[in-house]
Amino acid sequence: MLALVPDAFGGRGGIAQYNRYFLTAASTAPGIEQVEILPRHAPDAFTLPPGLRQVAPGEGRIGYILQALSMALSGKIGVIFCGHINLVPLAALAARLSRSKLVVQTHGIEAWGNPGKPYRRALESADLVLCVSRYTRAQVLSWAAIDPERVVVVPNTVGPMFTPGDASDLRTQWGLTGKRVLLTVARMDARERYKGHERVIASLPSLPGDVVYVVLGEGDDRARLEAFARDTEVADRVLFKGGVGRDVLIESYRMADLYVMPSTGEGFGIAFLEAMASGTPALGLAVGGATDALCDGALGIAATEEDFHAALARQLVAGKSDPLALSAAVAARFGSETFTACTRSVLKRLLQG
Amino acid sequence: MCGINGIFAFHPSAAAPSRDEAVRIRDAMQARGPDGFGLWSNASGRCVLAHRRLSFLDLSERAAQPMLSTDGKLAVTYNGEIYNFPALREELEAQGVVFRTTSDTEALMHLYARDGQAMVRKLRGMFTFGIWDETRQGLFLARDPYGIKPLYIANDGWTLRFASQVRALLAGGAVSRDPEGAGVVGFHLWGSVPEPFTLYRDIRALPAGHTQWIDRAGPRAPQPYIHLASILADGARAPLPAAQIAPEVRDAVKDSVAAHLLADVEVGVFLSAGVDSGAMLGLMRDAGCSNATAITLSFAEFRGTSEDEAPLAALVAQKYGAKHIVRTVGEAEFRADLPAILAAMDQPSMDGVNTWFVAKAAREAGLKAAISGLGGDELLAGYASFRDMPRWRRRFGALAAVPGLGALARGVMNAALPGFVRANPKALGMLEYAGSWEGAYLLRRGLFLPHELPALMDRDFVAEGMRRLRPLTQLSGTLSPDPHSNNGRVCVLESEHYMRNQLLRDADWAGMAHSLEIRTPLVDIALLRRLAPAIAALKPGMGKAALAAAPSIALPAQIVSRAKTGFGVPTRAWMAAAARTNREDLAETKGLTSRRWSRKVLETFVPPAGTAQAGSPAL
Repeated sequence: MLALVPDAFGGRGGIAQYNRYFLTAASTAPGIEQVEILPRHAPDAFTLPPGLRQVAPGEGRIGYILQALSMALSGKIGVIFCGHINLVPLAALAARLSRSKLVVQTHGIEAWGNPGKPYRRALESADLVLCVSRYTRAQVLSWAAIDPERVVVVPNTVGPMFTPGDASDLRTQWGLTGKRVLLTVARMDARERYKGHERVIASLPSLPGDVVYVVLGEGDDRARLEAFARDTEVADRVLFKGGVGRDVLIESYRMADLYVMPSTGEGFGIAFLEAMASGTPALGLAVGGATDALCDGALGIAATEEDFHAALARQLVAGKSDPLALSAAVAARFGSETFTACTRSVLKRLLQG
Repeated sequence: MCGINGIFAFHPSAAAPSRDEAVRIRDAMQARGPDGFGLWSNASGRCVLAHRRLSFLDLSERAAQPMLSTDGKLAVTYNGEIYNFPALREELEAQGVVFRTTSDTEALMHLYARDGQAMVRKLRGMFTFGIWDETRQGLFLARDPYGIKPLYIANDGWTLRFASQVRALLAGGAVSRDPEGAGVVGFHLWGSVPEPFTLYRDIRALPAGHTQWIDRAGPRAPQPYIHLASILADGARAPLPAAQIAPEVRDAVKDSVAAHLLADVEVGVFLSAGVDSGAMLGLMRDAGCSNATAITLSFAEFRGTSEDEAPLAALVAQKYGAKHIVRTVGEAEFRADLPAILAAMDQPSMDGVNTWFVAKAAREAGLKAAISGLGGDELLAGYASFRDMPRWRRRFGALAAVPGLGALARGVMNAALPGFVRANPKALGMLEYAGSWEGAYLLRRGLFLPHELPALMDRDFVAEGMRRLRPLTQLSGTLSPDPHSNNGRVCVLESEHYMRNQLLRDADWAGMAHSLEIRTPLVDIALLRRLAPAIAALKPGMGKAALAAAPSIALPAQIVSRAKTGFGVPTRAWMAAAARTNREDLAETKGLTSRRWSRKVLETFVPPAGTAQAGSPAL
């Protein structure tokens, strides 16, 4: 398998993480002997699991294209995996030239609208289109004339490090002892204002005074959100903690009383899973792919936009019930074993077909 | 005939199916099965099957569905009739299988246990079913070769739902109503929604003659197990000598009619003054059904005129000793029933009103099942299309092959004689479409032509719908492999498109609305296999003449000669009146009436977003 991806190992963000999980699982699938990864970017150091080989990206766009085609034609490639819709024309060409099967991964908002003829036609030629959520799948089927059986959901997964635990040290360190903590983990990008930070901040004045909102993540929209918190007169109740390392992230999830992200543009919402796997209840909107992470309300709370504030208040009263049970339920539906089995079964199906 | 449905949460991330949803879907099909109902789920709760029963074989509770195998490893929900059930049962019992019931449902399970998915090749009949295989943790769906029985599927990526009706799936409350452009555009093009599309993007038909397997890895692509075109191609390799055609038709149709009488209840017949239904009655008598109940529709408007079918139908009924019931329908009854007709219509249809009333009459007569002559024109080259399409291809095919000529001619004529183009939209289509069989068929059966659609709906919506529908590609796909005869090609196109999407679907919803099973001996895969060599050799009129002569007492000569001129039905005028506004109270062509009616029907369905059909039609 040749994987053409924006980033994977050594990359940052949700798509890179998904690719790492997927390609690692794919490398164990029957019929897949080797996975070769050609990323567009790999800024960080990384360690590769066995069965995977990642090649340094070529210089610039042209260099990447030439390298991708060269790799596709140089060896016996059975499957081309395209990790992002932006790469699908190149991946389709590589698949055609190398007579390989084409698997295209779609994530979130970038696949929700018709991406234009070259992308659409390339995607329609795919043997298998993977979507992270039912919503993304429905959107892809709305603009692509492709058999629905070829469009399959392989949802995000959550790493085994996200488990319930005692996070009182972090509470003490951040001065949150005795407080009820709301948490959002998301980039603050001006292009991603759909994440819903403002909606949470706007709710704070009507919530009890011991409720504090912790925001993790960085981005060019942070200053605007800080100003919004000041304008709403809750600046003392909103803690912008910036980007944090993995250990602090895990502790943060454990520490929070409620993970809240009223996003209207999630392809899936991996942070919901990480929070719930850490034993913390999650609240989002029943919009887009978030309903999958929240399992239509079976795992987390999927509120309507109108009911969001009331749902937030209700959940703060309800508090955490059984962190271990919630974590186990998340693992059963979205744990690495489930993800690996899902990945292997769709690839088996592809190779058999 | 029954209503079946099921929900399978195949994806490990999906919640277990809601039994309440399954019940809502099932009970939205109450008219399909008033005799009983059932609900079953497997041990893990990941698969729920449900059933609404209209019983014909083994009326007892032991034959209720969903039915479980003795070892509990198979569960089936099934709609239809397996006409070779007695032979299958005998075969299975000879191999040591012990039956607990006398129903054909049980035979399906035993066959699946023995042959796996290949079991569908053994079946003669009309059917759809779902079998849950506990050992393999998967669901097996199947649909009969002609698509007599409907089966719709909604797969959201985590959970697959199936049901006998589109509206039932929607009634469950979990399936999106997002519009399918191909379905909406296809309805305007044909007057019925072409399979596999429906009006809704998330609901598709399981194609006729296909099976589908669903397990943890999701639904596989539907797999064909039979091709009508292949059967006709095989037949065309050794066409039957003319002298043998009539005897072969007689034997084959007699066998099919006898098979279709399999039931533990009375089976009646729809009797018009045509050859097809008359032959059905005559052959029913030959099969031992000596006092069948025959239902004829009569229209008040035609009483005492040559258009009235009742007198000739009475002649046929008397000849074959049938109990004849003439049911008179008038426009007042049509108008009173119209809301119920539109409510029962599972998908929009430009037809089906006649079937509604004859099914209603049959049910009033106490029948649960009735034989119909549907399919005779497709099978025995009865339609004008068998004559017209080859002729169009000969006359205009070469011109139509010139790229752009048709569009150019249309443009010129539009500018020079716009009135002519509006009044004869298909005439100029000859230069665009007559170059291929699929194009000629579009001309023959199309309600609108593609270039007319932007006047009815948003231009972009039409373009996208046409791109998804690909009507000519879809038509040409059914002609693969080539049936090797003109009759064979037209037979396939008529059977797989007009008959399947229009006639059989209308028979299903209109029959089921009255809890009546409509049986079609002339739509039978065993019959097609036998007659394929004859179809290739049929000359105009030969097929129907053979059918008229098939009963041991041949049909009266008046029926054969009258059939050549045909009968009118006033329902078309009623439909036109119902669809017209007052100021449009003018005489209009048959084509315009159909177009106007089709748009009225579509407006009764939820107007899909992005279309302009909720506004005033541009007719």
